[in-house]
Amino acid sequence: MPEPFRIIVSGEGGQGVLSIAKIIATAAWTQGKKSTYMPYFTTEKQGGVSIGFAQVSDAAIPFPKFAQADMAVALSQRALLRLVPYLHEQTVVVTNSFLVKDTSVAGGRKVLAVDATTIAREQLKKPRTFNMVIMGAMLRSIPGMSPDGFGKALEKSFGSKYVRDPALKELNEKAFRLGYDLTA
Amino acid sequence: MPDMTTNQNVQIRSAFPKCVRIDSKPHLFCPGCGHPEVLKALGFAIDELGLQAKTAFGIDIGCSLLAWDYFNMDTVETHHGRTIPTMVGFKRANPDAVAIAYVGDGGAYAIGLSHLMNAAVRDEKIFVIVVNNAVYAMTGGQEAPTTLPGMKVSTAPSGADEHYMKAPEMIRNVNPTAFVARGITSVQPALKMLMKDALKFYLDGKGFVFVEVLSQCPLNWKTMDKPQETFDFLEKTLAKAYPVKRY
Amino acid sequence: MAEKKFLMGNEALGRAARAAGAKAFYGYPITPSSEIMHFWAGEFTTEQGKKDGLVFLQAEDEIAAGFMLVGGVLAGLRSFTASAGPGHVLLQDAFSMAEAMRLPVVAYLMQRGGPSTSTVIYSQSEVNLACFGGNGNGFRVVYSPSTIQDLYDYGIKVFNTAWKHRFPTFLLGDGYLAKTMAEVELYTPAERGIAMVEPEAYLLEKNRKRPLAEIVPSPELEVREDGGVQYDCLRNCLNFEEETAAVNAEIMAAYAKAAPEILEWENYGPTDAKTLIVAHGIVAAAAQAAVDQSGGQARLFRPITLQPFPLEELRKAAKGATKIIVAESALNQLARFVKDALYGVTSAPLIEYGRPSMGILPEEIVGLITAK
Repeated sequence: MPEPFRIIVSGEGGQGVLSIAKIIATAAWTQGKKSTYMPYFTTEKQGGVSIGFAQVSDAAIPFPKFAQADMAVALSQRALLRLVPYLHEQTVVVTNSFLVKDTSVAGGRKVLAVDATTIAREQLKKPRTFNMVIMGAMLRSIPGMSPDGFGKALEKSFGSKYVRDPALKELNEKAFRLGYDLTA
Repeated sequence: MPDMTTNQNVQIRSAFPKCVRIDSKPHLFCPGCGHPEVLKALGFAIDELGLQAKTAFGIDIGCSLLAWDYFNMDTVETHHGRTIPTMVGFKRANPDAVAIAYVGDGGAYAIGLSHLMNAAVRDEKIFVIVVNNAVYAMTGGQEAPTTLPGMKVSTAPSGADEHYMKAPEMIRNVNPTAFVARGITSVQPALKMLMKDALKFYLDGKGFVFVEVLSQCPLNWKTMDKPQETFDFLEKTLAKAYPVKRY
Repeated sequence: MAEKKFLMGNEALGRAARAAGAKAFYGYPITPSSEIMHFWAGEFTTEQGKKDGLVFLQAEDEIAAGFMLVGGVLAGLRSFTASAGPGHVLLQDAFSMAEAMRLPVVAYLMQRGGPSTSTVIYSQSEVNLACFGGNGNGFRVVYSPSTIQDLYDYGIKVFNTAWKHRFPTFLLGDGYLAKTMAEVELYTPAERGIAMVEPEAYLLEKNRKRPLAEIVPSPELEVREDGGVQYDCLRNCLNFEEETAAVNAEIMAAYAKAAPEILEWENYGPTDAKTLIVAHGIVAAAAQAAVDQSGGQARLFRPITLQPFPLEELRKAAKGATKIIVAESALNQLARFVKDALYGVTSAPLIEYGRPSMGILPEEIVGLITAK
């Protein structure tokens, strides 16, 4: 296992890209690991490409940013293009295949294509929870991580939204579980 | 008939308020300047309400800075235009203080206008006194937001243009409950009453207190040796454009 | 009780200010520092915050925020602000007054891209501004934290430095640190045996323990008595060159006296390594990782205080180095300090790796170390 394990997530602003990286880092920490999360944010609240950097490790992590990712998650076609410079030979590429049709830029790398939007729409009637499906699908490829602590990490991240919309909590956890089970 | 020999039952009117620092006299202002008139009116009001030891007196850059040793009161000189936010920060941190911001028309209406208006909108519990002499006095008689149409000043040699700033009117517009008034130096008893009423409003914690005082600048008005012209300009021209009243 | 939490840098700073017993925050929102303000707004509205007498005010701009901060300090509260980039530029108006009158204002400055509005992300290009902004001579204290834990530790320390020595004191962080989430150990100063220096008002102080005459330069202060009450009058507008000379001389003397106690630096890596890297802030964290990866070839000198700058310590560190690399996310800001310190002291070549407003990764520094 490369030390630390590095995850880069990219997508359109507003897709919840940053939440994915943040929740994974938070959950890893609650599982007793060292972790960092750093957003690469722009002035665009919606519509720009945003990138999140997460690292998970058993040892202290010296620096929050990195040049090469062990896992690259693309939630849109142009987001995938943004990630190409971060790929090394062993990088696992994860995509939302509903929005990322062409993965040729991934070269011969392992691609985990998840039609998260369709799953979220058909099974949960909430296409917006697709990012939770993606997060669940990522989990088994992150060394040493389990689904433990995700409920708590989600609550930390969605706190105020959960208060406004209590149904969202169950929905998010279901979506996460659907994604996790896909890779069983 | 009062006994004139023992002073009993006779109130001898002092020329200066008690809170004025007599050993700094003569003051630093030009002969004939209106600032000392404003400060005296304020000083008498502070005396009457017993506020000398409770007051934090903030003064701006410009002629108002010459007030830094006028009183025996805790005083701080700030930067040009920044006395209002300084006293806002002070008052928020020390709610028991009588926080006064003493500013000229350039400091309050040009460089510091945003601070003035926002303090009014937030209804900050401070007392702002603006001395309006329609000109930048200390820096050499440049045009101020209050310079009247046609007034020839160093940066408007062919006469200032037609618009000018009416601050009490603007402040009343954004804050319907504040104490807002305009006074004039040439009617001292009324000015002292105005200061006292303003301070009473302040002490009752009713909100933002704003007093503009029309004041003379014989030096920049070029009326140094013509006191009648000074007061004609103050009372007839300036007071016509800027009504002396409570808003 | 000390506890570990997984926090964003900005929240660590908000908690540091709270742990330090800060009472007042005046500020204006700007990315990437806004969450510090959000945190304080939250604290301000809690029952505990009300009980503690917290002050919070969102100003109309950073000029106002800076002077409100001055007002809070004059009233004797541990007061602070947070900003970045163009907001940091505007704050310098008030910081200049604070420098002149020895007012212990505190600011958390989280550098963003520059010049101008630039990116909201990151840089190290506010070093000159933090150290020398304003029309003075740089009599302020600037700490450069490297990690999220540093944000918490120095976020507390700045208040003590400010109130003990009475100089404007800044924590100069950056957008990466501001926005990174990582583990932070939280503690109260008392748990670490840190005594917090009690603030004292400049105006309307009822129980003055330290006379203002010991602090404020003499031409700027008049203390008067009337009816048994002492009145303090402060000014910053002076009439004569001799007065400004006296003000500067008095501030300089106080600064020179305080500096040895304030100076902080760190040497990292094998002392016999021939390559010396000089870096500060988060770039020093990258350099530390690079030192670990370079197999004994390199060591790091990290100034923790940029102002005052640990000049003598850098000179010592430069001894024996045959190559000196200055890495910074700016152009010639840290490097200028280094050249100033090393002039005439070493003949080792100086390599300036300036990447204005760009992150510097450990791998890049390893590349510089191994380059022939």
